[in-house]
Amino acid sequence: MQDREEVMENVTTHEEWKTIFSTLAPGLVLYARQWVRSHTDAEDIVQDAFVKFWRRHHKIDNRPLLYATVRSVALDLIRRDSRRARREVEAFAGAPQSIEPQFRAEDESQRSLAFALDRLPHEQREVVVMKVWNELTFAEIGEAIGISQNTAASRYRYALAALKKNLQPQ
Amino acid sequence: MSDFVEIEDELKKLQPVQPSDGLLDRVENAIDSLAPARSPGWASRLRRSAPAGSVVDLAEDEKVIRPDRFRINLLSVGIGLAAAASLLIFARLQFDNPSPRQPQIAANSPAPVARSTSPISEFLPAGATQVVYHTRDEGLLYSAESGEPMRRVRSRLQESLQWRNAATGASLRVSYPSEQVELIPVSGQ
Repeated sequence: MQDREEVMENVTTHEEWKTIFSTLAPGLVLYARQWVRSHTDAEDIVQDAFVKFWRRHHKIDNRPLLYATVRSVALDLIRRDSRRARREVEAFAGAPQSIEPQFRAEDESQRSLAFALDRLPHEQREVVVMKVWNELTFAEIGEAIGISQNTAASRYRYALAALKKNLQPQ
Repeated sequence: MSDFVEIEDELKKLQPVQPSDGLLDRVENAIDSLAPARSPGWASRLRRSAPAGSVVDLAEDEKVIRPDRFRINLLSVGIGLAAAASLLIFARLQFDNPSPRQPQIAANSPAPVARSTSPISEFLPAGATQVVYHTRDEGLLYSAESGEPMRRVRSRLQESLQWRNAATGASLRVSYPSEQVELIPVSGQ
């Protein structure tokens, strides 16, 4: 975590941008997966968003803006493709939120956790993904998705409570 | 939040699916191929000029800054600088060669000193007001001359007269009460 922040503070060269991207890419792709069902689509979104972010000369440490860009590109992709949008709406209404796995589950407990995470409401899952796997603060999450810091923290708490409840032995 | 430490630890153990090598290659290639569009000097200057924290809808391709738009911006800046330089040159020329009409205009303008006379004569009527603050109908009167009935209305007023000295800006105001009686013929129709 510390290394990551230190690197992000002093990005100036293109090589460093590439290094940063390789560091952030897993979390960014996972974040993009909240809107699309396939890993390939998520990668396309991340590529598009990251290159746009870079071309607009934003500072890499402006993480809320980077995630807001990914979010914007993902939503725009859905809006542009009506067939995809219909499919996404249907998928959102259904129980499982993803088709391809988002995590490399090593045992049954991790598979259960991933499944429980998938069943969270979208707004809660989005905050959990940003907080746990992208290491954003609640203030950054709030700025990225346009909610208050307290709302982001509340959604996170609700999500963890729901996960804990789902994973408790009956 | 301490109640959730265990579940948070479990979540952190979950490893996201790693992005493909193709994604990293594609982004690296994009950065390499588009790098000339990001001249370091211009980049830093543009970044500094952008409002901090401004969130732009980056999803719209039209809003992405492309290399050709940088050229357009440079052209605009050049035209603007040329226009500014031209204005400065013309301004300098006008400053060096003042218009010969200026003294004539100054000479033709009336001299305020020439109008000065005695201070009393400077006071000119500036206004008059008449405020009716009470009116009373005193009833009908029958005049012996006309034989027609007339209504007598008595009014109390406050009249004010004002003079102003244009040269000094001084003003004089006289205010006094007055009473007015009107005889208004009453028509029988």
